[in-house]
Formats: sequence, C-alpha cells, structure tokens
Amino acid sequence: MSKASELEARFGRACDLLMGELASGESLSVEFAGESSTFMRFNGAKVRQIGEVDKASVDFKYYRDGKTIASSVTLGGNEAEDIERSAHALTRARREAALLPEDPYQTLPSAAGQSKESFSGRLPDATRLPEEILAPADLLAKAGADYVGIHSQGPLCRGAANSSGARHWFATETFATDYSAYLPNGKAVKSCYAGRDWDGAEYRRRLEAEKPKLEALAKPEKILAPGEYRVYLAPDALNEFIGFFSWNGLSERDMREGESAWLALREGRKSLSPKFGLSQDFSLGVQPRFNELGEVAPETLSLIKGGKLVNTFVSARSAKQYGAVSNASPEGEYLRSGAIAGGDLAEEKILETLGTGLYVSNLHYLNWSDNDSARITGMTRFACVWVENGKIVAPIKDMRFDESLFNLWGDKLEAVTAKRSLVVETGSYFLRALEGSLLPGMLIEGFTFTL
Amino acid sequence: MLANGQFGYAALSSSEPAALKAAAERALALAKGASERAVAKFGTELRPATVLRYETARKNRAAYGADILSRHAVRLTEAMKVSDKIVQASAGFETRDIVTQIVSTAGADIEQYAHIIGLGVQAIARDGNVTQKRTLNGPRGRTLQGGYELIDFERSLAEAKVAAEQAVELLSAQDCPTGKADLVLAPDQMMLQIHESVGHPLELDRILGDERNYAGSTFVKLSDIGTLRYGSDLMNISFDPNVAGEPASYGADDIGNPAKKEFIVKDGILVRALGSLESQARSGKSGVANQRAQDWFRAPIDRMANLNLEPGKDSFEAIIASVEKGVFMEANRSWSIDDYRNKFQFGCEYGRLIEKGKLGKTVRNPNYRGVSATFWNNLFKVGDRSTFQIYGTPNCGKGEPNQVVTVGHASPVCAFRDVEIFGGEG
Repeated sequence: MSKASELEARFGRACDLLMGELASGESLSVEFAGESSTFMRFNGAKVRQIGEVDKASVDFKYYRDGKTIASSVTLGGNEAEDIERSAHALTRARREAALLPEDPYQTLPSAAGQSKESFSGRLPDATRLPEEILAPADLLAKAGADYVGIHSQGPLCRGAANSSGARHWFATETFATDYSAYLPNGKAVKSCYAGRDWDGAEYRRRLEAEKPKLEALAKPEKILAPGEYRVYLAPDALNEFIGFFSWNGLSERDMREGESAWLALREGRKSLSPKFGLSQDFSLGVQPRFNELGEVAPETLSLIKGGKLVNTFVSARSAKQYGAVSNASPEGEYLRSGAIAGGDLAEEKILETLGTGLYVSNLHYLNWSDNDSARITGMTRFACVWVENGKIVAPIKDMRFDESLFNLWGDKLEAVTAKRSLVVETGSYFLRALEGSLLPGMLIEGFTFTL
Repeated sequence: MLANGQFGYAALSSSEPAALKAAAERALALAKGASERAVAKFGTELRPATVLRYETARKNRAAYGADILSRHAVRLTEAMKVSDKIVQASAGFETRDIVTQIVSTAGADIEQYAHIIGLGVQAIARDGNVTQKRTLNGPRGRTLQGGYELIDFERSLAEAKVAAEQAVELLSAQDCPTGKADLVLAPDQMMLQIHESVGHPLELDRILGDERNYAGSTFVKLSDIGTLRYGSDLMNISFDPNVAGEPASYGADDIGNPAKKEFIVKDGILVRALGSLESQARSGKSGVANQRAQDWFRAPIDRMANLNLEPGKDSFEAIIASVEKGVFMEANRSWSIDDYRNKFQFGCEYGRLIEKGKLGKTVRNPNYRGVSATFWNNLFKVGDRSTFQIYGTPNCGKGEPNQVVTVGHASPVCAFRDVEIFGGEG
C-alpha cells in the first residue's frame, strides 16, 4: 500500500466511525489533512537537520439543535488507536455542544458530491538526499556562493466529507528544493525547484543558471535615497502581495465588519487600473476545489476585472448571515489558487521598457500599514538590482517601501507581462502547503521607498 | 537518533511499538546518510541527562466549562456595543494544557506541564470612510501562563468597553503628525519592539546563517558578542524563563538544557546571544536554554522564550514630563522589518500627543520607523517596576520547515529620542 493510500485509509476509518455513530438530529462535516514528508535543511551546502514527519488529522464540526462545535483528532495510523481517538472526540463534542448557546448562523452541511484525484510522483531516495541535493551545489561554491535552504518531499493529502454524503479526496506526491545562494557580500539569489517528478539534470541546470545572476550581484551595491522610483516587480515579488487578498482581504465578512482594506474598492471610492485583474483559478491544478463542508467551488471565480471588484469570497455562513450568495468559499473566506491577469509586455522587453529603475526580484515581510488606504509596507530582498538604460548596473542596498495598493495597481501600473509564472507556495506551518498562484510581472511608475 | 555526529529525526503520532521502532530505524538511516555532509559533528553531551518536572504556577486549577466561557464571550461583545458606529465586536478565550515528556538514552527524564490562558477582544468602529480598531494589548497579546485566576470576568468587561469606546474615539481623532519626535512606548508595543529588533537579530542560528533562506539573517556578527553597543546604558535585556505568568516559561528546553536567567544586553552592551547547546558548540559562544520545537512534528531550533527589558527608575509621569514634543503609542497593529533586522516600520492602535511634558490629544494611525541599533541607542528613559507589564504572543514564526511558538516579552514603559513618526493616508 502506498503512503497516500494508507493516509486515505486513515481518513476513511475516521469518517466511518464519526458518520456511522451519528444519531438522529446530528450532522457532521469532516476535513482531513495528512502528509508523509522528508525534510532536509541545509546551510553552507551541509546538512543542518534531516528527518521525516508522518502526520494526519481530521478537523470536524458537529451540529445539533442549533449548536455548532469544532474538534480535531490526530490519526497516527494504528487502526484501534485512531478509532478510539475519533470516538472520544465525538463524545466530547456531544457533551460540549450541549453547553453552548445557539449558533444563529449555523449552516448544516448539505453538499453531497464525491470526487477523487490522485497524482503520483517520482521522488529521490530519502537517504540519498544529501548527495542528490547538495553535491550539485559545488558549482555554486566555485562561483563563491554559499548554498542554504530546505528540501522537502513526500505525499500530501486532503479530504472532506459530511453527513449528507459528500466525500472528496485529493492526493499528490511532490518535492520542493527551496534555496538561496549567498555571496560573501551578503547578496543572494533565491529560487525554488518544485514539482512531482524529480529530474536531477534539470535541477543542476537551474543551479548553473544562477551563476550569471551571482556575477551581477558581486558588483558594489548602489545606495538609493528614499523617494519614488520606476520599478519592475518580478512574479516572485508579486507573490508577496497575494496574501493581502485574504488577510483583511476580499472576504464578504471582512467587508461587512469593516476589517477589509478593500472597502474603498467595494464602495466605488477607489478603482484599480483597467490592466489589473484577479481570479481564483483551480485549473492551476495545485490544490483541490472542495472546502471543509464538502462544497465544491467553481473552477474559476473572477474577483477583480478591469480594475473593478466583481466578487468577494462568500462562505455558506456569510451567505446565511448577510443574505449573500455563497461561492463555496471556506469559512475563512480566503483566496485559493490565485491568478493575476497577464498583459502585453513581452518578457524580452522588460529591461528595455523599465529603462532606468529598480528590478525587484523578491520582497520581504509585508504588512498593512494603513488599512483604510490599503497601504502596505515591506522590504526589498535578494537579487534586486539597479537598471540604467535597460542594462543591469548594480545590486541595491535593500529599501523599505510604503505604498497604497490603490496607487500601485491604479494610476502607477504601467504594464503587465504577457508571460505568467506558477509560483508554488512552500510554507510548512503545521503542514506542507498545497497552494500556488499564477502571476505576471508588473512595471510600476513611481513606487514609493521610505527608508 | 545520533549517528556519526549527525542527528536524524522521525515524528509520528502512534504509540504502537512496531511503528515506533520502524520510525527510529528510518531516523537512524537518515542520520547516517547525512553524516558525511553534516554542518557540524554533534555528541551526546548536547542532550543533557536532566531529570526535572515543571508545572505552571496556578492559583485556580479547576477549569471553566464551555458554557461559562461562551456566555462571557457573548457578554464581552455586548459590552463593546457602545455606539452604532461599532461594526465588529469579537471576543474569545483560549485555554491550552500542554504536556511535554522528554526522555533520552543519555538519561534525560523531563515532564513539563504548561497551562496557557488567552483572552482576545477586538472592536472595529466605522464612520464614513474611516475605520479604526482597538484590541486588548494587540493581537493575542493577552496570552499568559497560569491558572483560571487569569480570567477576571468583571475586569475584562470593563476593559472591553473601554477598547470599544477608544475605537469610536479614534474615528474623529486627528492623524498622527509626521516628522521627528520623541516616542514613548507602552509595554504592549515594547513587546513587539523587543521581539523584532532585539530577539530575532540575536538568535545564534541566524548569526550562523541557518535562517537566510527564510526568516533572514542579522546585522549582528559573532565577533560582536561581548563588544557591540546595542543600545544606551539604560538597556538591559534578559532571557528569563522563570517569570511567573510569562507565557514562555519552562524548566528545560526541548533538548533538556535546564533553563535559567541570563543577561543578553547589559548596560547597552551585547554580552550573550540566544543560542542553544547545538549553536554554542558550532560557534564557541555562550548561550541560553532555547532549543525549542513547535510540537512533536518539528525538530527544535534556536528560539526566543521570555525575553524582557529590565525595569529602570522612572515613573510613567516622570517619563511623560521629560518629553517636550512627542507621541505616546499603545498596542501593536502593524509590524515589518528587513531580513538583516535593521530597517523596521511599526504601527500602533492608539496614540496620544505629548506637549511640554503633558499628555494631550488622541491621535489615530500612529506609526514610526527606524533602524534597530540607532533606535536602541536613543533610549533615554526606562520606566520603573510600576510601569512593567507582561505580554506574549503564540505566533512567532521561524524555521524550515516552518514552526510557530509562544514567546513572552515583559517591559516597562520606555522613551526614545528623535524617532521618525507618521500617520495614515487620507
């Protein structure tokens, strides 16, 4: 039995126990997340930490008599132990739900569809990872660079089911080598080789391709004064903004409760450039369409079109509370599989069109600095370079920016690249992430740097 | 498992002996496979044979039920409805009982029982195009270690009402002015200031470069330890896992190193970094007991725990009286700092102008920015124990694979000279 199949069996056992023991008048929705991962962390092209994690759990919601309670069960793979843990959690949920006040916006799970998607991969032998991942970094060492990062691999699984008959399963086997190569001057290139089928030759080719970038970064740095600059944001840099459609973002609840930074867009007080578009697009194939209630979202959902807000994320709960129409968003009402619309700027014309300004490869540690004006602060990071007359001149000393998204993607948005890149999320808080976004690059006139 | 000087780990949530044995064998195979390319050779001395039991000091041990807590959370939201301008009133309690047991073939046998109590309250007010938010001491700032005595129902009702009133007050307040001024920070913002511009830069694994691909590096070098003037003479920072109520208190870290108080910055000079036994072995520098893991499924790394600014001599009134022109800021709402921990920009929920030694008008959207060491060298007043308060957050993220842990920060009110302050837009 493959590891993904074994994780699916854990999901099935928990569902069978939880659904099978429900009494009349009780409802349940169950969400499963599991992984069997190998992690190798490295610094100086040497292994810092190496290990594996087998982790699976179901988070369920129990509904009875207008009461709702959430619970979680860790599933270790031992059949008897997992069944006992599930039974204990259901017992506790029944006991505690009775203590709660009625939930006025309770939405019982009603979706009944079923689906199953499974993608196998070809991954390196875990015990040979040090050789496979770190030996090729010798070519970077010869270029004077120090190799640091993490390689992770293994199956990732998600599932959802409910007491109305929905049952969904998504399994994929992936790897990600998320790395940086640092020069002695502190400048670095950053990239990630990710996918399902490991190709050692392709990995080495990618490392080889970093060498000319490192040569550019070895030059003396240029120190910019605070002010407004012409800027090109590469897809990896743009990816740092993706979370801001979720955090104080395009949630219907956040709009109603004054927490969204996009209220001015909703209310027509601000608009974005006609060049700006955003959608949720599950055709990217990186994550499943179902949510924790077993509801399946439409394959695509247009959110901002031609600079205007056309949809928000509406969960079943918000639909009931506010009289809106659900689009099968999770209760957290966040963006999944985001895609920013492409434009007409050709890849080979980026530097020429930028002319003189700043090529921003990556950004770091962004945060809302003023919610009402959708202003965000953050830092440049990694291979950001100064460009003059279409030629790379020097790396820059990192700068802090503080800029409203209504400016950045409004009047200041000059061009969007035609080519878009799939930027895979490599985060691993609690679990390895199963997300990604399809992103272009953007040319911005007058990007504001403050420090 | 330790083999040829390299640790390998395996994490699972089964107690089945065969599964545990198989996991140990895989951890051993990973360790052996990596030992030829190890960043350092480690030995069993890095897993001390510590035997201890730690438990949070609690007055009230009997838990409140979900009925009592949910009913009171609803009462808190009702208390926040002070105006029809309140568009969100939310409240919640968090109670966590964390049991950790560490045993090793080296002889360690450690049991730790941490009891966490958190209270979260948030009011959002709106008038026209202006929205303002007020919480109790910033997002999840009221995360403490203790018993149910930490839940004071009547007091929290009064505090929630004040938070909502201040959210409404901010709607009509003037924006924070722009320019250079003296800055007085309340302990619930000092928490963030210490965390971002002192704690993270001084983690020894960052100095050694482990974090460069994710959270980042630091402006501090190994050679700075013992010599760098980090701040003014008034700056005294301690790593102290023994402060009652502070959320990251413990008896030993997650590799079994017994925890004790150590000064990190003394009279403004950097004297020690936040480095675990493994980082100490790699660097040859002294450190603290701070190798911590988020949970059973992550390997421990260098973390902050309780990192505090020691009290000074001045009362709150004396600090305000010492400021000719400035702003007093409370409760963090925005945070960002570069990957070398130099250029930061922080925002707060609530501000008051200070003019000629007196607190004046309320200002909204109070923000400030600066560079870490410059900022700390401009520290000119440190409040006395009467101004000292304890906060914490369960949301400190770091590491690859990523980990989030609870940290504590206690601080008095502090004042800084010549800081760049500014407000919102529009």
